[in-house]
Amino acid sequence: MDLQNLLIIAVGVIFINNLVFARFLGICPYIGVSKELDSAVGMGAAVTFVMTLASTVTWLIYTYLLSPTSNNLFYHLLRLNAPPDLTFLKTIAFILVIASLVQFVEMVIQKTSPALYKSLGIYLPLITTNCAILGAALLNIDEGYLFIESIVHGIAAGIGFTIALILMAGIREKLDLADVPKAMQGIPIAFIMAGLMAIAFLGFSGLKLGN
Amino acid sequence: MKDIVKLGGLLMLITAIAASALAGIYNITKPRIEQQKALELERALKNALPGYPREAIDEVKEENQILYYRAYESPDQQNVAGYAYVAKGQGYSSVIETMVGVDTSGLILGMKVLNQVETPGLGTKVEEIKYGENDPWFTRQFLNKNAEAVALEKDGGDIQSITGATISSRALTRSVIEGYQYVLQDKNTKNDKDGS
Amino acid sequence: MTVLAEFSKGIYKQNPVFKQALGLCPTLAVSNSVSSGLGMGVAATFVLLCSNLIISLIRNSVPPKIRIPIYIVVIATFVTIVDLAMAGFLPALHKTLGIFVPLIVVNCIILGRAEAFAGRNNVGLSFVDGLGMGLGFTLALVLLGTIRELLGNGSLMGIPVMNMNFEPVLIMILPPGAFLTIGFVLAFFNWLENRRSK
Repeated sequence: MDLQNLLIIAVGVIFINNLVFARFLGICPYIGVSKELDSAVGMGAAVTFVMTLASTVTWLIYTYLLSPTSNNLFYHLLRLNAPPDLTFLKTIAFILVIASLVQFVEMVIQKTSPALYKSLGIYLPLITTNCAILGAALLNIDEGYLFIESIVHGIAAGIGFTIALILMAGIREKLDLADVPKAMQGIPIAFIMAGLMAIAFLGFSGLKLGN
Repeated sequence: MKDIVKLGGLLMLITAIAASALAGIYNITKPRIEQQKALELERALKNALPGYPREAIDEVKEENQILYYRAYESPDQQNVAGYAYVAKGQGYSSVIETMVGVDTSGLILGMKVLNQVETPGLGTKVEEIKYGENDPWFTRQFLNKNAEAVALEKDGGDIQSITGATISSRALTRSVIEGYQYVLQDKNTKNDKDGS
Repeated sequence: MTVLAEFSKGIYKQNPVFKQALGLCPTLAVSNSVSSGLGMGVAATFVLLCSNLIISLIRNSVPPKIRIPIYIVVIATFVTIVDLAMAGFLPALHKTLGIFVPLIVVNCIILGRAEAFAGRNNVGLSFVDGLGMGLGFTLALVLLGTIRELLGNGSLMGIPVMNMNFEPVLIMILPPGAFLTIGFVLAFFNWLENRRSK
């Protein structure tokens, strides 16, 4: 496996195409959880974990069950004339996988760290509707990544998301003590901050990686 | 335990119903979607190889992947008159894909940018059509030049790059050369009859 | 509440984007032009209407423990239908909206309305609720799209509107512009509310 290629994918999705600042994925939990540093880190870790697992499982399902290639298991097991094109089931299959994974992660966190479970609150089951996870899974397919590339992309996308969350939480903790105009307090100023950070991340987009 | 099996079964049933409904809809929309793809390809080829009817163009494939296209004088002729290929180059923020049509000596007959997600207002100008004109000025510069020798003015050639979008301009220009070299290499190994 | 109130609450009082902060991902992503915003709004409204209808119809037969996955399957089905229909009949819009068409399935507005309303109300009210929320979502998208396209590209619906001397503020159609625009618009609505309650 080309290590340099994997590194390019990872750096690409953490900085150049950061899920939050460049692709607009994962905004809802971003606004909701980024108020405190601790919950931000916890949420980021949970999302990275689910994203990696989801990238793996969804890639396998797409390649071996849905795509009309010679890998298709239905084609082999049912001895069909041609590989069936089941790509239209992508959305349903992927979201069901993600929902199940989140349920599973929820149970694990509840057992291992009740404090984290409590601080994440409702945002934990909401990871299911975190467009970042479904988005990353869909991107793996769209970009035509191979298996290892998809896993690396999943991990790195989660890291990029976590970085965005941590940056935001750090700033918002300080902002709470600042004198913000009443109309701006809360969500509006959070968006303005995100906008300023997005401008900073825009600077990465000229980064030339590889040859 | 029985509870989980019952609930799981119900969920599977509903998913199965949904999947069947979707399969039905898919079968209805599939021909339409294929049609759209074919139309898009036809439009691209028309721009890249003006004057050649779609029936006179065939595909060079390898394992179900289209490598490039061959154009003949007319649908029943044997001699290849030109080629069309999709040039791909990593631009500023996306891979710029361009359909390029050349004749057998490498002279560019036509070009059409297919896909790009470059910086709006800068790199996106590769597709910009100036007010009052009919086709993008940037790609028009490539017409009647040799596909192996195109270069930006700042790289010693005569293609004017887009102000503020050197990376996008250069990427497209280079991709034209690389794509053509691929076609040359491939057709020589297959000994196409094209009199060149 | 009256039927009219159920409908109109989605437009201002409980606007999904500006008041409930839902559906933010697609809002930021496709609000860089009026036509994409409109296209996404209509597509999402269609999914919302259909899913609200079905979920309301089956609301009494769904075991509470698995209601969320079932809602998700229903929503995902309609999203796929919209995806296929758009690819077949509106390929340009489909290309522009890209990954955000399948992402309609995780648009918190749709799952949110299913859980908060359609799962507990009759078909008629659920339909009206869906219509109102969908319209509110579309209006939010069009409002943001208008601001961003006008300032960032000097055009509306692709038609140049500003005169030749206008230098477009490019950043408005780039990601930072999305965040900044929605931040200021949200602040504006907050300011309006604060004035009203004085």
